[in-house]
Amino acid sequence: MAAVVKSERTAARSAPLSETTVLGWLRKNLFSSWINALLTIVSIYIIYAAVKGFYVWGVADAVWVAKDRRECFDISIDGACWAGVIQWMNNFIYGRYPRGELWRVNLGALMLVLWMAPLWVPRVKDKILIGMSTVFLYPFLAGYFFAGGEKGIFMQVMVTLGIVFLVGNTLNVIIGVSSGRGLREVMIQKLGKQDASDESQRNTILAIFVGALVVVFVLQMWWTFEAVSWTKWGGMFLTLVISGIGIAAALPLGIFLALGRRSKLPVIRVLCTAFIEIFRSVPLITVLFMATTMFPLFMPEGVPLNKLTQVIIAVCLFSGCYMAETVRAGLQAIPNGQYEAAHTIGLGYWGTMGLIVMPQALKHMIPNIVGSFIGLLKDTTLVSIIGLFDVLGMLRSVSQDIPWRGLHKEPLLFGAMLFFIVCFAMSKYSRHLEVKLSAGDNR
Amino acid sequence: MKFTRLLTLAVSAFALMVAGGVGASAESTLDIVKKRGHLRCQVGAPAPGFYNLDANGEWYGSDVSICQAVAAAIFGDKSKLEIQSVSSQVRFTALANGESDLLSRTATWTLLRDTQLGLDFTAINFYDGQGFMVPKDTGIKSALELKGATVCVLTGTTTELNLADFSRVNNLDISPVTFEDSNVRNDTYLAGGCDALTNDKSSIASIKAAFPNPDDHLLLPETISKEPLAPAVRQGDGQWFDIVKWTVYALINAEELGVTQANVDDMRANSTNASVRRMLGAEGNLNEGLGLSKDWAYNIIKQVGNYGEIYERYMGGGELGIKIGRAGSANELWTRGGLMYAPPFR
Repeated sequence: MAAVVKSERTAARSAPLSETTVLGWLRKNLFSSWINALLTIVSIYIIYAAVKGFYVWGVADAVWVAKDRRECFDISIDGACWAGVIQWMNNFIYGRYPRGELWRVNLGALMLVLWMAPLWVPRVKDKILIGMSTVFLYPFLAGYFFAGGEKGIFMQVMVTLGIVFLVGNTLNVIIGVSSGRGLREVMIQKLGKQDASDESQRNTILAIFVGALVVVFVLQMWWTFEAVSWTKWGGMFLTLVISGIGIAAALPLGIFLALGRRSKLPVIRVLCTAFIEIFRSVPLITVLFMATTMFPLFMPEGVPLNKLTQVIIAVCLFSGCYMAETVRAGLQAIPNGQYEAAHTIGLGYWGTMGLIVMPQALKHMIPNIVGSFIGLLKDTTLVSIIGLFDVLGMLRSVSQDIPWRGLHKEPLLFGAMLFFIVCFAMSKYSRHLEVKLSAGDNR
Repeated sequence: MKFTRLLTLAVSAFALMVAGGVGASAESTLDIVKKRGHLRCQVGAPAPGFYNLDANGEWYGSDVSICQAVAAAIFGDKSKLEIQSVSSQVRFTALANGESDLLSRTATWTLLRDTQLGLDFTAINFYDGQGFMVPKDTGIKSALELKGATVCVLTGTTTELNLADFSRVNNLDISPVTFEDSNVRNDTYLAGGCDALTNDKSSIASIKAAFPNPDDHLLLPETISKEPLAPAVRQGDGQWFDIVKWTVYALINAEELGVTQANVDDMRANSTNASVRRMLGAEGNLNEGLGLSKDWAYNIIKQVGNYGEIYERYMGGGELGIKIGRAGSANELWTRGGLMYAPPFR
C-alpha cells in the first residue's frame, strides 16, 4: 500500500469573506442573529433621530449672524442662535479683560507653548533645566504679562530671568532640532573654546548668561504694561489660570503630604493626616466660601484682599490633599523589597524615595493623577458661584444680557464642547504617557 | 462633646473679636474710598434691568448706574469704580467685612435685614413686587382666577413662600412647580408645563420681552408682595449713609426739577430756580455736610443722568431696557402719582 503523501503545497485560501468584505464584517458584527439585527436597527434609528434633530436645530436652521436674539427669531424661530455665542466669544475666552490688551493673554499662552513644547521634542538637550524654569520662572513672566502695572525689584528680576531663559530655551530648541546639539556646546564652539578647560568653559557660559541678564534688565526697565486688575480676568483664561496653578502645586504638595502621612515621626504624621482629612471631608465650595469670606476677617487691617489669590490658595490646598491620597496609594503598591533593596545599596530616606520608590509609584499613579487633574479643571467652575466670571459664569450670563435675553442652551452647549476638547486631550495624553513609561514592562 | 462645644465657642468668639476690630476702624468709609482711589460697589449675578454684562464685558443696568452716581459724586468721575459681583449667599457678609463699600443690588428692604445684619438701607430706588404671567389664550385676566392652577416658581426663594401665602389666603389651591434654574423654568412655562409663571414683575417683564411671541402672554395686574429695593451700607458710618442716600435723592430731585444730562450745564449757568442752583452747587453750601465737592450733584447728573433717564435706559423702552411701563406705577414721580419723592435740597 503506497502511502498517500501530498507532494505539493496546498495553495493558501483567501481569508473568509466575513474578514475582508464590508458586508461580511456587517454580518459578523451587527447582524449575527435576529436579536442582534433588531438591536442594530433600533440603535441606528435612535442615533439617526438624535443626530438629525441636532443637525436641523444646530446647523440647518441655525442663525450665525444677527445683532440680537429678536433678529434670530425673525430669521428662524426654531433654530439655534449661534450669533449670540459668537458675539460673546471674547467674554468666554478672556472674561472682562480690556479688549485692547488681549494680545497679552495670547502672548502669555504662546510663551507657555514655546517653553513646554521642547520637553516633547526628542533631540533637545537640558530638559531638566527647561522643566525647572517652566515651573519657577514662567508663572512670574506670564503673571506680569497678565497683571501689568509697576514692577517691584523682585518682579523685575524674575521678568528678566524669565525672558533670558525663554530666549535661551528657544535658541536651544532650534539648535537642538537642526543639529542635535545643545546651546552651550554651540556657544563654546563658536567662541573657539572647545579645547579649554571645563572651568574656563563654565566661566564663559556664566559670563554670557550674566551679560544677557544685564542687557535684558536694562531693557525691561523701559517698558511697563498697563495694569489690569484681577477683577477683569475671566472666561477660559481664568479657569486655566486657577486650575493650572492648582495642578502645578498639587503634585509637589501631594507628594510631601503623602510622605508626611507615612512618616515615622508622630508629629509630622498627625499634622499631615489631620490636614488631609480636614480638607478632604469638606466640599470644595465650602472651602472656597471660607477662603473668601472668613479669611479677610483674620487678616490684619490694610492687608490687600484679593479674592483671586484666596481662591487659588484654597484650590491648591484642596487639590494637594486629594493628590496626597493618590500618591499614598501609589506608594503602598510598591513592595517592601524595593525599600529593602534600596537600603542594602546604602541609600538614605531621600535617596530611596527619590531614586527607587517615587519613579515606580508615579508611573502607577498616572491614570489617577490625570483623573484628578481633569476633575480639578471641571471643579474650578465652582468659582462662578462666588462671583468670579470664569468660563461657566460667562456662559450663564449670556441669557441675562438684554440683547440675548433667554439664550442659554447654545452657550452651555458650546461650553460642553470646549471642556470636552480640553479634558479629552488631557486623557489621551495620559494614555500616551502610560504606554511610553511602561514600555520597559513589555520587554 | 464638651471639648467640641468649647472649641466652637472659642472660634466664634475669636471671629467676633476680629470682626469687631474691623468694624471699629477709626477711618471713615469716605476716607478709605478716597484713599483707595475707587469705589467698590457690590452687585449680584447678572439680573436684567438691574445689572448685566454686555458682550464686551462691561457692566450696565440701573443699579450699576447708582454705583456710577456715587463714584461721580465722590470723585467727579463715574469710572473710578470697581463692580463686584457677589453671590447672594454672602452678599451681606461681604458688606460687613469691608470687602464692599456699598451694596446696590436687588436686596429687598425688610425689618429683619435692617435690624439684624449690621447694615442700613438708604433710599428706595425701585419698587418691585411679585406678579403672575399667563398665556393669553387661557383667558385668565386676574390672579384670583388661578384656582387649582400649576404655577412655575423658583425654589428656595421668598417668591415661593409668597405664592403659598397668596394661595392659602385666597383658597386657590395652587400647586407650585419648582425650579432651580430660571432659564429652565421659562422654557417649561413656554412649553406648557405650567399654567402660570410667578416672579418679581420686573423680571417677568424682561422674560416676556424675550419670548418668541411676547404678545401671546399677559402680565396679570395683581401684585402679591412688596419688594422695595434700596442701596445698603454698613451700619455705623452716618456720613457714608448720607452720601449714598442723597445721591439717590439727587437723581430723583433732578428729574422733578427737569434737570437732565443734556441741559445740566445750561441749568447750572442760567437757571433762576433757587432749588436747581442750590442742588447743582451754583449757590449755597449743601455739599459741606456730606464732605463732598461743591459740584457733586452736577457731576452725578452730567455723567449718569437723572432718575427718569436711568429708568428709561434700563427699565423702560430704551434699547437695553426691559420694557416695564412707568406710568401709573409706584416708580413714577410723586408729582405724577407715584412714590418717588426726594426731601428738599436746602
